[in-house]
Amino acid sequence: MHVDLTINGEEQEYAVSRSESLLDVLRRNGYTGAKRGCDTGTCGMCTVLVDGDPEMSCVTPIGTADGATVETIEGLGSQDDLDPVQAAFVDNSALQCGFCIPGMIMRSKALLDENPDPTEQEVRDALSDNLCRCTGYKKIVEAVLDASDRLDGERAVADGGSPTGESCHCRDADPAGGEK
Amino acid sequence: MSTPDDAPEAEAGETETAQSDGAAVDEQTPASDPAGSAQSSEPDGRSAADQASGTDRRVITADEEKYDARKIVTGDARYTADYRDRFPDLAHGVIVRSDVAHGVVTDIDTEAAEAMDGVHAVVTPFDDAVPDTLYSSSGQSYPEPSPWDMRVLRKHVRFVGDPVAAVAAETRELADRAARKIDVTYEEREAVLDPERATDPDAPRIFEDDEVENAQPGAEYERNLESHFEGEIGDVDAALAAADDSQVLEMEFETPYQSHCVPEPHTTIAYTDEDDRYTFITATQVPFHTRRQIAHLFDVPIRDVRVVKPRVGAGFGSKQEMVIEPVALALHRQAGVPVKLELTRREEFYAVRSRHPISMRTRSVVTDDGDIEALDLYALSNSGAYGTHGMTVAHNVGTKALPLYPRVPNARFTGDVVHTNLPMGAAMRGYGAPQGHFAVEVHVDELARQLGEDPIEFRREHAVREGDVDRISAADSPDPERFAREIRSCGLRECIDRGLDAVGWDDADQPENPDRHRGLGVALCAQGSGVAGKELGAAKLKMNEDGSFNLQVGGVDVGSGNDTMFTQVAAEVLGCDPTDVVVKSSDTDLTPFDYGAYASSTTYISGRAVKKAAEDARERLLAWGSRMLDKPVDDLATGDGEVYSEGTGESVTLEEIGYEATYGEDEREQIMGDGHHSTDESPPPFGAQFVDVTVDERTGEFEINQLIFAADCGVAINPPLAEGQVEGGEHMSLEYATSGTLEFDDEGNPETLGFRGYGMPRTTDHPPMETILVETHEPTGPFGAKSIGELPTNGVAPALSNAVRDAVGVRVTELPITPEKVLAALDDEGGNAGPSE
Repeated sequence: MHVDLTINGEEQEYAVSRSESLLDVLRRNGYTGAKRGCDTGTCGMCTVLVDGDPEMSCVTPIGTADGATVETIEGLGSQDDLDPVQAAFVDNSALQCGFCIPGMIMRSKALLDENPDPTEQEVRDALSDNLCRCTGYKKIVEAVLDASDRLDGERAVADGGSPTGESCHCRDADPAGGEK
Repeated sequence: MSTPDDAPEAEAGETETAQSDGAAVDEQTPASDPAGSAQSSEPDGRSAADQASGTDRRVITADEEKYDARKIVTGDARYTADYRDRFPDLAHGVIVRSDVAHGVVTDIDTEAAEAMDGVHAVVTPFDDAVPDTLYSSSGQSYPEPSPWDMRVLRKHVRFVGDPVAAVAAETRELADRAARKIDVTYEEREAVLDPERATDPDAPRIFEDDEVENAQPGAEYERNLESHFEGEIGDVDAALAAADDSQVLEMEFETPYQSHCVPEPHTTIAYTDEDDRYTFITATQVPFHTRRQIAHLFDVPIRDVRVVKPRVGAGFGSKQEMVIEPVALALHRQAGVPVKLELTRREEFYAVRSRHPISMRTRSVVTDDGDIEALDLYALSNSGAYGTHGMTVAHNVGTKALPLYPRVPNARFTGDVVHTNLPMGAAMRGYGAPQGHFAVEVHVDELARQLGEDPIEFRREHAVREGDVDRISAADSPDPERFAREIRSCGLRECIDRGLDAVGWDDADQPENPDRHRGLGVALCAQGSGVAGKELGAAKLKMNEDGSFNLQVGGVDVGSGNDTMFTQVAAEVLGCDPTDVVVKSSDTDLTPFDYGAYASSTTYISGRAVKKAAEDARERLLAWGSRMLDKPVDDLATGDGEVYSEGTGESVTLEEIGYEATYGEDEREQIMGDGHHSTDESPPPFGAQFVDVTVDERTGEFEINQLIFAADCGVAINPPLAEGQVEGGEHMSLEYATSGTLEFDDEGNPETLGFRGYGMPRTTDHPPMETILVETHEPTGPFGAKSIGELPTNGVAPALSNAVRDAVGVRVTELPITPEKVLAALDDEGGNAGPSE
């Protein structure tokens, strides 16, 4: 079967198998920011926005997503031009291994779109379907509250404590040579 | 005292982040730095790059942006599974696992699976593509201090989840369908699930003699005993014999399985490169150990194996193991195309590795003056089906917590490590120390209370201080004198003071409801910084024309921020900005050797290696600066991207040096630096965990009001990253204290198969947390740093038990601590359930 998706503003048509999830289709087509943490809708690491709502793409059958507008982490800012939510995660050291972070950021973005000025408890409630094993959530919650302030002030500079405040580290993308 | 033949070296589960300093005297253990090595550390002098005081620091102790942060928040960071687009003909693997707890495979019918279109390979233990060599999957030094007791695919299955066969197919879905068509016939054997029953003479035997090589000290496989060990200082039995009953306190403890819940499931891609070498892109903490083990298993030279670590979605010890790489390689050899193997979350819970469940018994003797005369700790560890990290984890139960009280004259730890037909325990962050701290820090607390002393003051008096010599952690070493450990940095008392201030206990009110009681518990924590005498880290720096550097380092960043810490250490020495250091880590072809990310070794060991490499390169920078400025080297220093004259202020930029050294008219040089580090030292980081709890005496229900952790990790090279280690460690410790465990039915079938059935804390389950970094200076560490990664996993469980005791006067000694257990303890008290004092 075929599905039509609008992903990060671009219309895409994909040949898919009926049994695939939205996550399968996204990852197969290069949108690898969404991660496969459990494949059963219990960890939130695959969270993307479907028609504006945060959804766990691993339990979203591709058929039900046909025609939908999908926003993934790839559609937010780039490394040298971060979205304020991304910048807040960077500046608050709110990440370690990073595997949960794309899902966390998409979930946070949905929260802040709906509730630009959440309380700490509202942030914790909104993120409660998204698991993180590294951070104890403290800096993540602080980052989302900081992102809320940044959006208020429409500031979007991630200086991350870097003396220059403008470096882009596009490194380490290529771990091994080609195959035989 | 009994001394095993081999030193049971504790190797632990996770890495750590970021440290640094002031007046570091680089002490080098002579034995660890063979003559002739081109190292720049000086045994008795001050390293040129170590700054005299905190105010002189440049980029250490700074909030430097995490090296991979921007990649992560944009989704550009690539983890193993994200490399699939590099392999157009990639096949997807699936493992067929035993569904009986104990048995022998008599037949595997693969015909239907092999007949399916798109199935590239089916492998079983009966195939030539699958080695039947015995090995240990533990990512440890060589020879591993773990028995070689497993094979890649297994005919003798020992738990529900043992790998029996594997399939590779065009798609994951097809591989799953093919796997379901494989029909395995078992001759079932009686299983044993209880570690106490496992050593009975009539218990079923799990390993025959010819099923184990490299057996560990004390093993008696005829009674399922994988290892037995004993270490002692003084004479504990004599102290017990001389004491009145009133002077002896004895307690028993139970701890459960804990799952790593590693975010990125075990994932690997195996292929053959254009030079006919086996290559892996793999989620590992131990690339170099994996390379060696693959070479051993598949009987190829080490040089013909390459292991590449991309970004890794954390490890916590679960990836201090060669778990799936051999299966992927067997499938690849059979299929002839690259194979990706990616475990499911279900497999992560029941089929791979967990924290060992351990039962413990503690005994103490106090003198009439209230001093601790003896401490005795016995551990019975349920190793599960295989012995990976079995002896070393159980050993750590005693050797991490007992050194909190190094002045106790008689101390002993004894351990039995026993096999059952349940999933294997292995390395997990803390590595036996969380179990040991639960026993020791609850015992000491109870002891203080029964003596009528304040538990915090009691610890202040008896706990380790700078200048103490810890002998207990080396008590069963073949060379106890060599590994006796002088404590050169210890901020425990400041941790206690500042933690108490943060708790604000003096202002804390008891609830108005008379059924509810608020209590405060503390637990002291200690860990190590690497495995003493069993570590090697190495690094190489090379300078580019523009004044930047490439750092090739074996140390493995699996998420905690080591790459960032490395750039700060190198930049501090070189006088450049951390963003001028490009890190490559870790690739067995391209980076120098490293034991890997475990035992809290990365900052202390690999960080020292990076510092030495930077000092080596700095000598060349100064030589070129001297030539270009026409000044003596003694007059020169590095900083702000320059080499400058301390006398006149004249300077030359690193970029100018880079161009001159590369393209100069007279002479040219690739400016480089090498460094490696090994040592007998493993200085403990220390900490104090506080738990503030309110307990309802009618229901046993409790709420944790706040968690405070004050940590002494020496000099924190990157404070926010160090705080992150503390907060994440407390998260795991909170789970251990209150909610995690794996359940099995009475045939050994797993009942905890996903996050839904497991109690991993979510954002809404976390009480407020505060982290305090107490700076000390560890003279043997890079810029004064010690480790931090594992330390904070040790505290919440004992501190919560102590807090409940403080609130309602009852003691819970079995994890997890639940309202039901608190209520049962209150009921046992027969209504005498009020606050103790």
